[in-house]
Amino acid sequence: MAYLTQYQYYENEGNNPENDNWGSYQYVSLKEIVTNFMLMYVGNDKLINNVERYNILFHAKRAIQELNYDSLKEIKILEMSVNDELRFILPDDYVNWVRISMYKNGVLFPLTENIQTNWSSAYLQDNNNKILFDEEGSVLKPEFSTVDIDRIKGSRKTIYLNEQSSYDGQEGYFYNGIWYFEYPIGGRYGLNTETANANPTFKINKKSGVINFSSDMSGELVVLEYVSDGMEGGVNADISVNKLFEEFVYAYIKFSVLSSKYGVQEYIINRSRKEKSALLRNAKIRLSNIHPGRLLMNLRGQNKWIK
Amino acid sequence: MASIINTVRATVLSIANKNNYGYITPSDFNLYAKQAQLDIFEDYFYQYNSWIVKQNARVSGSEYADVIKSLVEVIDSFSVTSPIVFNSGLYPLPDDYYLVNKIFQGNTEVERVSQSKILLLNSSHLTAPSTMFPAYTAEADKITIYPVLTGTVNCQYIRYPKDPKWTYINLTQGEPLFDESPADYQDFELPLSDQVNLINKILQYAGMSIREIPLVQFAQGEEQVENTQQG
Repeated sequence: MAYLTQYQYYENEGNNPENDNWGSYQYVSLKEIVTNFMLMYVGNDKLINNVERYNILFHAKRAIQELNYDSLKEIKILEMSVNDELRFILPDDYVNWVRISMYKNGVLFPLTENIQTNWSSAYLQDNNNKILFDEEGSVLKPEFSTVDIDRIKGSRKTIYLNEQSSYDGQEGYFYNGIWYFEYPIGGRYGLNTETANANPTFKINKKSGVINFSSDMSGELVVLEYVSDGMEGGVNADISVNKLFEEFVYAYIKFSVLSSKYGVQEYIINRSRKEKSALLRNAKIRLSNIHPGRLLMNLRGQNKWIK
Repeated sequence: MASIINTVRATVLSIANKNNYGYITPSDFNLYAKQAQLDIFEDYFYQYNSWIVKQNARVSGSEYADVIKSLVEVIDSFSVTSPIVFNSGLYPLPDDYYLVNKIFQGNTEVERVSQSKILLLNSSHLTAPSTMFPAYTAEADKITIYPVLTGTVNCQYIRYPKDPKWTYINLTQGEPLFDESPADYQDFELPLSDQVNLINKILQYAGMSIREIPLVQFAQGEEQVENTQQG
């Protein structure tokens, strides 16, 4: 495939969208990876022969998925407002979250994941606590559990130091210019730093595909930073990987094919395993972009006095 | 290029008659010639495989000693690329194909997948056939492409060699006179270098036909010498 002309790159040859090719030079497409691999690594005089293309395609995609989970740092960001049920539906290509923030008054507030659960499913029960079933023998379930209802209504207390804190609004005693409370907030037992955060909290219900927020998030804007698997909704034409990882992807495919092929000597498999690991390390170092300009900004605070 | 078939026939007759083994009629000769050509043609593919094994064992050479290259050239001389036409969900393959090398559309190759794998492949998220990576299965002389492609689909295949036919016009002094002008005349399609093999093969068939075991043994011996020389 020919390289893009500069006109194609900058203006997409006058087609829409104009920005379609911007930054594309950083990436190598899935088709190119599979084609190159079949051409260069598969043959009668190569280590790999008689392998179907779909095998290569499978391992190429698996390599790209694995890279997307951690090494690539291809973070996607999505902004949505929280609905009335204090839920945020996970994006269709969501695999794992990186950071969840509340966007309020022009400021991003990073949110804390609740160490307790803030959602639950429930079974319907009668007065004698017997579980109720339908005529097909399935358990009857309410739309929301009590935990959910309390959270949505805002009547649920939390162990965090926000508006729903169980200490919030409690009466105290003002004596000799000092406030005293029945509840020892960071007093007798010390502050629990894990829960010492005034921002709203969240908990992810992975199976249901939603993020459940505490009631103080109602109507607020959420910015979700997450990682996907790079499969772009199954559109092969959109799947690509950073060029810094291209050689690793070939090594990954080679190792995967050789290690699952009958009769390949163990030393060959080991060689390809080492090659794969070394290339991953190399690519990670390259992609980490450690250079003086960046370090300088981080290190500027090293002599700052901490009181 | 001079006709090989006439030279082959003349040599075969010469050897057969010289030793008083008997006469071979033109129709018999044509039958043996077809059989011999097919035999040698099929052998190219086994030879090709055998030479790849030798190459991987580093017992083959390069440049003029590159036997694989010569074999590929011969096999490629039977290569044909032609469009295949979609009909009732299937693509019928050409009548004269020996093996399909590739099915393609533009620069995209359609991969052959076994019948036992196609359902699994279609069910897989990662490997399901797509317009970028299409697949096909073969059934008898028809193929099914997944997913259905729009536009022209081409087939590059190795065809069978055409049946050789030694033609003649009339008898001169009891001998048929070779004539290559009739429409059904067909020379051997194998390269000149295989002339010796063709003669040996035809002699074997002819020897069996006229029940002359020494002729068969002579031809087999010649063939063995030839094979030994070729490694």
